[in-house]
Formats: sequence, structure tokens, C-alpha cells
Amino acid sequence: MVATSNDVMPDIELYQPTDEANALALAASLGNEGWLLGGGQDTFGWLKDRNKIATAMIELTQVDAWKGIRETADGIEIGAVTTLTDIANDPLVQSRYGLLATAAGKVASPQIRNVGTLGGNLVQDARCWYYRRGLDCYRAGGNLCYADSPEGLNREHAIFGASRCVAVSPSDTAPALVALDATMVISSSSGQRTVPAQDFFVGPARDIENMTVLNDGEILTAVRIPNTWANAEFYFEKVADRNVWDFALVSIATAMKVSGGTVQDARVAAGAVECVPRRLQAVENALRGQQRSEQLADQVASIATNGAQPLNYNHFKVPLLGNLVKRAVRG
Amino acid sequence: MAYMHIGKDFVPPDVPGKVTGRIKYAEDYTREGMVYARLLTSPIPHARVVGIDASAALAMDGVYGILTADDVYPDGEPNSTGLKILTNEPTLVGEPILAIAAIDEKTAETALAAIDVTFERLPFVLDPLDSLREGGANAYPGNSNTYVFRQGFATEKWSEDQVASFRAGSEPTAEAQQEWTFGDLDGAFANSAFVYETTFSTAGYPHHSMEPRSAMAYWEDGKLYLHGTSQSLTGLADDMAGIVGVPKEDFVFINVATGGGFGQRARAGSIPNMAIPAKLSQKINRPVMMRATREEEFTFGGARMGFQGWIKVGFNADGTMSATDLYIVADAGGKGGGGDASSAGDLISMLYQPEAMRFRGTNIGTNSGHRGAQRGPGQNQMSPIISPILDKAADELGISRFDIRKINTPENGDVHGPGRTQVTSAYMPEALEMARARFNWDERESTRRRQRNGSKVIGLGLGQGYHNAGRSGMDGIVTMGTDGRLRIHNGVGNLGTYSYAGTSRAAAEVLKMPWERCDVVNGRTDNHLPITSPQDGSNSTFTNTRTCYGAAQDLLAKMKEIAATDLGGEPDDYDVSDERVRRNDDESVGYTFAEVAQRAMELRGKFTGEAELPEELAEWTQISVSRLAGDWFMGVYHDPRHEGTVTGFTVTACEIELDTETGKYEILDMISIGECGTVMHPQGLKNQLVGGAVWGIGLSGYERHLYDPQNGIPASTGYWQSKVPTYLDTPETIQTGWVDLPDPENPVGVRGIGEPAMGSVSAALTAAISDAMDGHLFNTAPITADMIINQVAGISEEAVPLAQNNFRG
Amino acid sequence: MGEIVRYKRDVWGEEVILGVSWDLLWVVAVAVLVLLAAHAIIMAALANKKMDKPSGEGRRVLRHESIDRAFHWIMAASILVLIFTGIAPIIGLRIAWLNFHWISGLILTFVVIFHIVRSMFWQDFKSMILGPSDFGEPFDSAKKPGKYSFEQKGMHWAVTVVVLAVIVTGVLMFLQIDSPFWDRTNSMPEDQLGLIFLLHGLSTLALVALASTHIYFAVRPEKLFYTRSMFTGWISEDEMAANHDPSKWTPKEAD
Ligand SMILES: Cc1cc2nc3c(=O)[nH]c(=O)nc-3n(C[C@H](O)[C@H](O)[C@H](O)COP(=O)(O)OP(=O)(O)OC[C@H]3O[C@@H](n4cnc5c(N)ncnc54)[C@H](O)[C@@H]3O)c2cc1C
Ligand code: HEM
Ligand code: SF4
Repeated sequence: MVATSNDVMPDIELYQPTDEANALALAASLGNEGWLLGGGQDTFGWLKDRNKIATAMIELTQVDAWKGIRETADGIEIGAVTTLTDIANDPLVQSRYGLLATAAGKVASPQIRNVGTLGGNLVQDARCWYYRRGLDCYRAGGNLCYADSPEGLNREHAIFGASRCVAVSPSDTAPALVALDATMVISSSSGQRTVPAQDFFVGPARDIENMTVLNDGEILTAVRIPNTWANAEFYFEKVADRNVWDFALVSIATAMKVSGGTVQDARVAAGAVECVPRRLQAVENALRGQQRSEQLADQVASIATNGAQPLNYNHFKVPLLGNLVKRAVRG
Repeated sequence: MAYMHIGKDFVPPDVPGKVTGRIKYAEDYTREGMVYARLLTSPIPHARVVGIDASAALAMDGVYGILTADDVYPDGEPNSTGLKILTNEPTLVGEPILAIAAIDEKTAETALAAIDVTFERLPFVLDPLDSLREGGANAYPGNSNTYVFRQGFATEKWSEDQVASFRAGSEPTAEAQQEWTFGDLDGAFANSAFVYETTFSTAGYPHHSMEPRSAMAYWEDGKLYLHGTSQSLTGLADDMAGIVGVPKEDFVFINVATGGGFGQRARAGSIPNMAIPAKLSQKINRPVMMRATREEEFTFGGARMGFQGWIKVGFNADGTMSATDLYIVADAGGKGGGGDASSAGDLISMLYQPEAMRFRGTNIGTNSGHRGAQRGPGQNQMSPIISPILDKAADELGISRFDIRKINTPENGDVHGPGRTQVTSAYMPEALEMARARFNWDERESTRRRQRNGSKVIGLGLGQGYHNAGRSGMDGIVTMGTDGRLRIHNGVGNLGTYSYAGTSRAAAEVLKMPWERCDVVNGRTDNHLPITSPQDGSNSTFTNTRTCYGAAQDLLAKMKEIAATDLGGEPDDYDVSDERVRRNDDESVGYTFAEVAQRAMELRGKFTGEAELPEELAEWTQISVSRLAGDWFMGVYHDPRHEGTVTGFTVTACEIELDTETGKYEILDMISIGECGTVMHPQGLKNQLVGGAVWGIGLSGYERHLYDPQNGIPASTGYWQSKVPTYLDTPETIQTGWVDLPDPENPVGVRGIGEPAMGSVSAALTAAISDAMDGHLFNTAPITADMIINQVAGISEEAVPLAQNNFRG
Repeated sequence: MGEIVRYKRDVWGEEVILGVSWDLLWVVAVAVLVLLAAHAIIMAALANKKMDKPSGEGRRVLRHESIDRAFHWIMAASILVLIFTGIAPIIGLRIAWLNFHWISGLILTFVVIFHIVRSMFWQDFKSMILGPSDFGEPFDSAKKPGKYSFEQKGMHWAVTVVVLAVIVTGVLMFLQIDSPFWDRTNSMPEDQLGLIFLLHGLSTLALVALASTHIYFAVRPEKLFYTRSMFTGWISEDEMAANHDPSKWTPKEAD
């Protein structure tokens, strides 16, 4: 029986590897049977309500190699199982990549940040309430969307880039990492690959059931942030119904290099407006080389919202996105 | 008057247990051989169960039995609204259909998945106006959509045009189920200098008490022991016995602490699911624990009624309210609602004292969460709607926003409602003045109102709250043993307000008993407790100080009588002090309380509750007294009825800074003043004012029921989807204050406060939002960020006007 | 494996059809490969005994007018695109397939409609009619067909049925998603929707089998001249004489 909350954890085999090789081998052998477990904040709701089934779980948090924040020649590398609290409080991240520290500190609630990991936050599943309720919609492998219809409750859903599924990217750290031009390090038993943050996320047009490019057996093990944007001027703002313990209605993350009032370069990404963190390249182009002003802010705000296709209940996201872009430009 | 206990802070006896986590809630109990029950609830908003095949589930290892509606209602389900224990005709998603008992919850859950229930799907509806429309679906059994008191189920329909014109903003033209009027409405409107007319909507939303309504039951020696949750101990147990079908004398209800009760744990009828483990335990002969999930707490834990309303308010040139015409269609949810609509009308008649008024109201069911009393049911939905209208009138008529409230506010001797009932007392002018002074209202109005800083605007709001706050006619029992300690038997539930302890102090006051020499006896009904009124309507403080006071007076009289008989003189020659009953003229002559109790035990008869009991004692009290009789020196009291409406008032002022670019606002400052007679327990009152403020912020800004219109499934089942305000959404500090003047109808002058504490905050906050929006009236609650953004951007709202269980209302 | 239909729970928990079981795709692929390979082997074994290949030289007769050839290739292309784009997400290719799919779907739909209309009024409709007498053809080497052989007619009609099925179901599915022409609604009951998905999927499977078979025969050496005629329009008189009965089909001369 769907549509009711069971609220009882089913039996699950728990694996707790302590070294990389073991974890990767387990991920490879268990394939899609092995649910990767970071802090579990996205996971446990699914499993307790029995809306997703896992027979085995691979806990990643005991692999020390995937934890912590390291300085590298080209910037920093953050282990994917580092908690959001650790990232938000890290002096290095705070001083050089304040954008990420702020974004991580805005996730959910202190309790969730204390256990939630960066990897889990990036790989977390869509928050569309229909989907989370266990309905067999497109994203769950079904053949329809309950949200995208004249009556569907789609206030929190996408205004861009929808393709049948209109869910949005729920992560607060994702737009920050896109703005910082981060690289995702993906490991599997057969080796390692790296993917730019922007390409790490996948929209429904390409894959309606998965939010990232991760394949079975692959683990996000680290996130690298290049020096390019270190100490740039950052702006992060998240508007949610509540000031804590709530997902963004729209968020904005920008990194700007400004000198003498002129924008030298900029990277701008918005959260919760599309199924992936939305990079606003047109805004970046329009900003580059321009004198920062209220007029410029207004001008790029309208560029940001160009082509938005609101659903029935989320028209407000259009002006909200524009306003946040404005505020980011104003600084 | 100088009191020993009243008006003083103290440490209620349950506080250490709550701070240390040792206090036990229903879920914390176990019993040898205990098994676990889980519920199969309806996945469909309106359906009929046509078949249940549980054979596979019952054949599983560790499964002990099943309970269905046919088991609990062998003669058929009662043909009435209200939650059933279990049902074969669910009228909302999540309504319990059957329960399975198993060795553990996981087994029970697996067994549930193996049960095949065949449903016949029935049409469902989520908006009362959709149901009212000709041809619209009906939420209730028998294709009905309303329940008329003493008549039963009925079907109410409006024409297509009537519904459409109401949604479009016009006065509803259909006849209402309920109507009351006073004064010359047309005349008053005709003489008005300013008339404002609008449709409005307010949202229903769930109680979401922290503790879900779990229960554990077992039978022993023919007696049912039920560990449950409630906000009224004996008031609830009294009816619960009937629901389970067990004689009152064989029913023990155990409830030491309750994690939140806001109207839906006051009466047994709103929490009948506690009968499930009781019945299941009886059937399978084992103790049964049934833990309710968060979502179950959402679905059958009760919810506020939403309003679809129309209001027309007239003001005379001097700012006095000339007339109010109010029409409300109230969303009664899947199981029938309450009298919220009429209470909303009463709020206006009380707070603003219009010369003439008409109220019309109709309750219509929808296949959504069960509705019933929630903190200020009716009054509090009205508060955020009416307050900005007052501001509008004030601005139009050129009077201050403070004055328009002061001019209209009730005071001693005023009457209200259709019965033109007089208040027991009302010190509202004092409360308003106190808020004005402490908040520096006048100065803020002149210097800060609508001040702009970039995209941010300052908004100021004033709000008032009201609820009737006291009853009478209940019973009191106090006992004393030969140790001389005073035992106050208190049937009041421990729902976190400390009123079970606070009201007990009225008894200590009478006997001038040090608090550490008093024992509050409650927590379980086999502690022999008197009947109390269900603890809703902010009544406990008023009602139960009367009974505790009365019972202590009885004990005092008996002490004096014994002393006089034994030691000479008349009873009136004696009084109490320092735990002695002694002569007034010679304090050395007397008994200690221990001695007088010893004497009582020897004398017996009326002194030990074996004779000369008050005549009108409730059955419940009689049973308790008879079990105590002979073992204790006893004071027993039946409280006569009082005259007039007992009032509870609050005034709130707040200042917000609203960001027009994000639709968000910060509450910079807030003060709430309580006007509840003499203050019984300052810390408790402060808690009510602050807690009520958080609720008021939720009502004005955040909380609402969301049900998918396509298929009737709920979207706002958990804490984060329900958007209860968090610490960061509420002001850092909420200042409080109180008037502290006595009410003549209460022996210690006290009245209740719980519900208005929420209404005034909601009223003030909504007024402040409108103020910051240059006086734009949203005429709805809650006002969420998206509405503000849309309003600023000039985007017309996407939601259906007056929609219920949806994004607007 | 083993099942044909996939089920899901509808919004209220009742089991409804979700669509075809895509495991069948592999079953179909393997079956087609095995059959065609077997055919190729048998044909290779028989090749020596077979008579000489008719010459493509000499006078030419017109087999397909240019407009029909255009129709054929547009249909072929769109069907191939449809098959590819439809199957891509199923086999895990992460491409943005849907827009290509429905646009090709619409192209196919229009071309098919044109083709039907044209074949009924401007073409020799009878030449494609599959009559009882045609069924003797494969067993009697003396019996030669008119314009289309028994196999060609069979293939054509099978493709017709299946393509009409994907078109009808595809258009109904198209109506259920957002498009530049309308916003989607959730008005179709979930069980009906599932049935349509099932038919679309079953037809896809059939079409995969038919298309592979069709392509296989089109590139077989002994049939290659038909393929050539689909590009050029003509076959030689020699090929005509070897494969067709002029009393049943009298083509114009090709220019
Ligand atoms: C009430 C509530 C409010 C929330 N509000 C917000 C919010 O405002 N902003 C926000 O961004 N998030 C929010 N969240 C989501 C929460 O922040 C994330 O769920 C959390 O960060 C996930 O981290 P985790 O380590 O606990 O994830 P897990 O639950 O452990 O994992 C999440 C998913 O990622 C996969 N995964 C985890 N680690 C890896 C890895 N290293 N490689 C590959 N896959 C991996 C898991 O398999 C799983 O599918 C909220 C969640 C809740 C419950
Ligand atoms: C050669 C013909 C066709 C083939 C082989 C084909 C194949 C497929 C396949 C395999 C799918 C995926 C179905 C699933 O996930 O269960 C699909 C989906 C779809 N097809 Fe086709 N199709 C064809 C023609 C058409 C036509 C003519 C249309 C009409 C415009 C169409 C419209 C669609 C649509 C809209 C979907 C997506 C439906 C959804 O996901 O909601 N198809 N098709
Ligand atoms: S928006 Fe996506 S996740 Fe939500 S119901 Fe539609 S398909 Fe499912």
C-alpha cells in the first residue's frame, strides 16, 4: 500500500568499510543493490517509509581518506564524506571560499549539518513531495508527473529546463560549487574520473531517474576547488519559507572579481529553479567588463529570468530569481 | 490581595522529570508480553471497504491478530461525524481501517503489506465551495457534505452562480446553516462613515503535537489499564470508558505527561484511536502498544478549520465600529468540524463591540484532515483578518491605529455575542495602554512606520486576542493523611501548561499550606481524581482553581468543626496558620494538621468522605470518593455555576522589517500583554504568551494544509512540510507583561489565557505585514513569501480564489 | 525476464499497467539476430545452386516514383530516429531524446497520413493488396508476383499495422506531456495511460524486429536491386522478368 507513512526501517545489510579499496570493491560488487550511506539524512526517510527499497547499505563515513579538507597545489580538496558543519566552520574554506562555507551553513538545520556529508548533499535526490511520498511518477520509473499539471502542487518546482519531470535541484552547496568551478572526483574499482561540477548534475531530459552522472559502483570521493576563484567577491543567498530547516525556494551563488567597480569576471549559479544548479552564463557575459551599478543589476536580472517557464504555482520564482541576481550584483 | 501562592513562581512537580528526560509518556511504558499494533490506513480520500483479506498476514510468524471496524462496531458504525476507532468508509487519506498486532513493529508492518483491502472508490472533494457547487462531490457518507447538529448528515448545495460570485468577491447569497444577529444592521451601515467589504480565506492546518497519539493497553482482573495521551485527565477518561465500552469503575487511564495538547486531546471523541490497543488487547489477550507515526498524528491528530469568508465592516466617523456582517463557509474536513465560524463572529462582537452585527455560517466537509478545536478555534482565524481592516479604517478616518482599538475595546460591564452575555470582567483598556507604553507605540508610529531602507520596509502592527476562558460546575477533592500533608486530587491533564499544579495551589492557599507540604495527586485515574471539564477553551485555570479552592474550603470547615468540637468554641473562632488549625484569640489552642487528620480518621463519617457528600457530584467523582472514603481526612466540593462570560484577553504590538525583494520579514520586536484576571503563575503565563506567539506567527505566516487536488493525498504531513515556525523565524525575545486585576467570579481572581495569546500575535503580525506593504490587505492567512513577492511584482495570484487545503487558505 | 507487462501502483496504491517489460527488448534482439543469421547461413549454403543473378543493365522500368521514394526514406529515417531515441533511455544512454523523438514522431505521422491518402487515390492500391492467392506464391517457384512479392506485401502490412499502432499510441502519449502547443494535464486515468504505454512498447518491440528484418533483406545481394530502386526509382527489365509477372504488373518505362 503506498501513500501512507510506514515509519519502520526494514531489514538492511550494513557494510562498514574502513578503507577505500574495500569500499570501492563493495560498491562494485553490490552495484545498484548497495545504497551508499553518508550521513543518512536523505536516505532514512526513503527507507523508513519504505518508498525506496535497499537490501544493503555501504556506510562511507568510516573511510578516513574521504574526509577532511586539504590544501593542494591548485586550491583545495574536500573529502566527500566531510560533514557540512565541518565545511561551514573550516577556517580555510571560510577565508578563501566563503561562498561554500556560507552555503554549507545554510543547509537544513544544525542537526542535519552535523551528520550530513558534502557528498550526500550533492547526490541527494529530488525533494518533489509527490516523489517523496512514494508515488510512481516518472522519476520513480513511472509514466507520468503528478506535479506538472494545472492542479498539481508545484510551488517549489522548476521554472527552467523541465522535461516531463519538473523537480528542482535541492542542494544548497551545489550552486556554490558550480559558481566556484569545482571538479568532482569520482572513484570506482576500475579507477577515477573527474567531472566539472556543472556537468556532474543531470536534468530529466537526459536522465529522468538520476540527478547526477554517477553510475552504479561509483562513489563521489572528493570535490576540488581551484584557486581561480579563491578570495573572489562572493554572494550567497537562499530564500526559503523558513530561515532554517527548509529547502530553498530560490538560491543564488556568485563569485565575482571586481576591480575599481568594474566586474572583471563572474560565475553565477542559481539553485532550486531547475533540476540542476542553473549556471547563468548569459548573466556572467553581461556582467563581464561592466561597471557595477543598479542599472546593471536590473539589466542582468532580466537576463537571468529570460526564458523562464513557470508552472501554475511558482510564478513568484521568476521575480525572486531576478531579485536575487540583482542583490548579488549589488553585493 | 496578598497571596501566599497565587501570583508566585514555583517549580511544578513534573519539571525535573522533563528536564532530565525521566518522565514517562505513553510510548515509554512496557508490560510483560507486550506486542505491537500497526495501522493500515486509507490510501484513498473517500472510499468504501468492500473486502479485507488478511489471511496471508495472519498466517505469518509473530502475528497475533487483527482488529477491524466490524470488531469494534458489531452493530455497525455510529451514524455521526467525528473520528471512528476504525472505519469501513474512510473519508480522508490516512484514516485507520484496521490494526494488526505482532511481536514487533517490523513484523506488523510486513504483515500489513500482505493484507489485501478492496476499496470502492467514491468521489472526493477538497474545497468546501467545490462541494457546495451543484454537482460537486460530497465528502461524507451517504453522499452528504455536512452534519447538522441533532439532525444528522445532510447535503447542502448552492447554484453554480452563487459559488462563482462568492469566489469572485461578492457577498454569498445562499442561506446559511447558522445565523445570529443583534442590533439594526442596515441602519448601522447606513450611518457609517467608512465601510470595508471583502472576501477572505484562512488555512486549516494540523496540530502536530510533539508527542504522537500513541497508546498502550492491557487488561488485568477485568480492569482496563490504558496508557495514553490527553490534555484532560478525568475529563477525557470519563468519555473514553464509553468509547471502549468499559464501565467507568473498571477503567484506569494513565497519563503522567503529554507532549502537547492544543484542542484535539481534550475530549475522548477526538482521540478514539486510543481504543484500538484497548480493543486489540482484549481480543488477543496481551498488552498492546500502538505507536502512532508522525504522519498518523497529522492525519487523525486533528486540524484547524479553514475559512472561506465574506465580511463587511462599518465604522462611524469617530472610529467606533457601527456594524459587522460576517459570512463564513468553514471547512469541516473529513470527519466533521466544530463551531469555529460562530466563534469567529463572537470574537468581533467581543473585541470591537459593534452596535449591530449579523453572523452567518455553514460547515462543509472535505476529504482532508480531521478538524476540531485548535488553540482558539474560530477566534484566532478571525484575528489576522480583522486587524488590518481596523488599520484601514483608522487610516481612512484619520484616527490613530491605537485609538481605533481603544475606542472599541470591551470593558467591565460590556456584553457580547447573540445572547448579549455580560463579561465577568474585562480590563482591556488597561492592557492596551500597557502595550502602548511598554512598546513606545506612539513614538514608533510617528518615527518608524513604513520607514524604508533599500528594499526593506518597517511595518508596525497592533493586535488583540480573545477567548472565553473559564467554566464551572466541576468537582474537587482534597485529602489529608495523618502525616498532615495536603493532597490535592487534581483531574487536570498535564499537557505542559502546568495548570494541573498551578490550580492546585488555590487549595494550598486556602489552608495556607507551604507548597513543599502539598502533594498534587494526578497522573492516573486510580489515584482517585475528581471530574474536570475537558481542558479546552482556556478554561482550566478558572474552572479548577474554583474546585480546588472549594474542596480546600470544605476541608478547612471540617478542620474548624473538629477543633471546635474537641477544643471548644465555634468553628468560626478558628483559623489556620503554620499547618495548624487554631483559635483566633489564642493560637496555642488548636491541632496540628496531622492531629486534626488523626481526629478525622477517628470520627469518620463526613470527615472521611463516607457521609454528607455534595449532591451533584459527577459519577466519576463519586467513584473516586467512594474509593478514598474511610482512609483519608477529606474535603469534597461540587462547584456551582457562575454567571457571565469568563474572558481571556491579550494585546500584542510588533515591529517587522519586510524585504520586498524576497518576501521575507524579520520580526524586530514584539510584546504581548496578558489580561487574565489575577495572575496565578507568572512563569506559566509567560510561557503561554511566548508559546502562543510562536503559534500566532505560524498562523499568520507559515502553516497550512496542503492536499493534492488531483487525488486527495496530503502534502504537508511532516514537520518540515508543515512549516511550523522555527527559532529563526520568531523574534529573539518576545517581551511579556500582564494587567493582573482580579475577576470577581473566581475565588482567587484568575482567568485563563492559552488561546488568546496566539490570536493577538497573529493579528499584530498580519497588520504589520499590511503596514509594510503600504496598506495592502491580503485578506488571508497565512501570508507567505511567494504572495508578497507576487504582490510586489504585480503578478496576480495563481491560486483559485478562496481555495482550501491549497496554496491560498 | 519472462514477463511481458510491467505494473506499478497508481496514486492510491492499486496495481495498474505501467508498460511493456523492456527485458523483452533483449529477447527480441537475440531472436531476430538468430533468425536472420540462420537465414543468412541457409542462403549461403543454397547460393551455389541458385540461378544467376539477373542483370541490372539494359532497359529500365519505373518501380517507384520520386515522391514515393522520398516518402519511404523520410519514413525510414524517422522510424530509425524514433527507435533509437525511444530506446536510448531504456538502454541507459543519457541523451536528451524526447524532443527528437516527438518531432520525428510528428514527421512520421504526417508522412504516413500523406502516404495513406496518396496510396488510396494516386497509387495502385491494389498492387499491395494481400489476397488468398498470394499465399501460394512462396511454395510455387513458377508463380511470380505482380509489383510486390508475397514477402514484400507481408512486410508492408506488418509494418503498417505496427507503425499505425505506435503512431496512435505515440500521439496519445504526446498529448500527455508538455509541448510547445499545450500544457500537460493529468486527465488520463493511470490505467489507461499504462495501456497506451504498453501498446507503444509492444509495437516498438515488433518494429525493432520488423525493421531489422526489413533492413536485412534490403541489403541481401539478391534483393539489393529493390533497395537500389528505392534510391533511383527503376529496376531493369531483366530483374523485372526474373522476379515479376508482367501480366500482373505493367510498369512504365523509366526515363
Ligand atoms: C528536513 C530536511 C531539510 C533539509 N533541508 C535542506 C536544505 O535546506 N538544503 C540542502 O541542501 N539540503 C537539505 N536537506 C537535505 C540534506 O541536507 C541532505 O539530505 C544531506 O546533506 C545529505 O547528506 P547525507 O550525508 O546525510 O546523505 P545520505 O542520506 O547519506 O546520502 C544522500 C544520497 O547520496 C548518496 N551518497 C551519499 N554520499 C555519497 C557519495 N560520497 N558518493 C555517491 N553517492 C553518495 C546516497 O546514496 C544517497 O542516495 C534537508 C533534509 C531534510 C531531511
Ligand atoms: C517508430 C515509431 C516509434 C517508436 C519505435 C517509439 C518508441 C518509443 C519508446 C521505446 C518510448 C519509451 C517508452 C517507455 O519508456 O515506455 C517512446 C516514448 C514516447 N514516444 Fe514513441 N515511438 C515511436 C513513435 C512515436 C510517435 C509517432 C510519437 C508521437 C509523436 C511518439 C511519442 C512518444 C512520446 C511522447 C513518448 C514519451 C512518453 C512519455 O515518456 O511520457 N512516439 N517511444
Ligand atoms: S516533478 Fe518529477 S519527481 Fe515530481 S512528480 Fe513530477 S516526475 Fe515525479
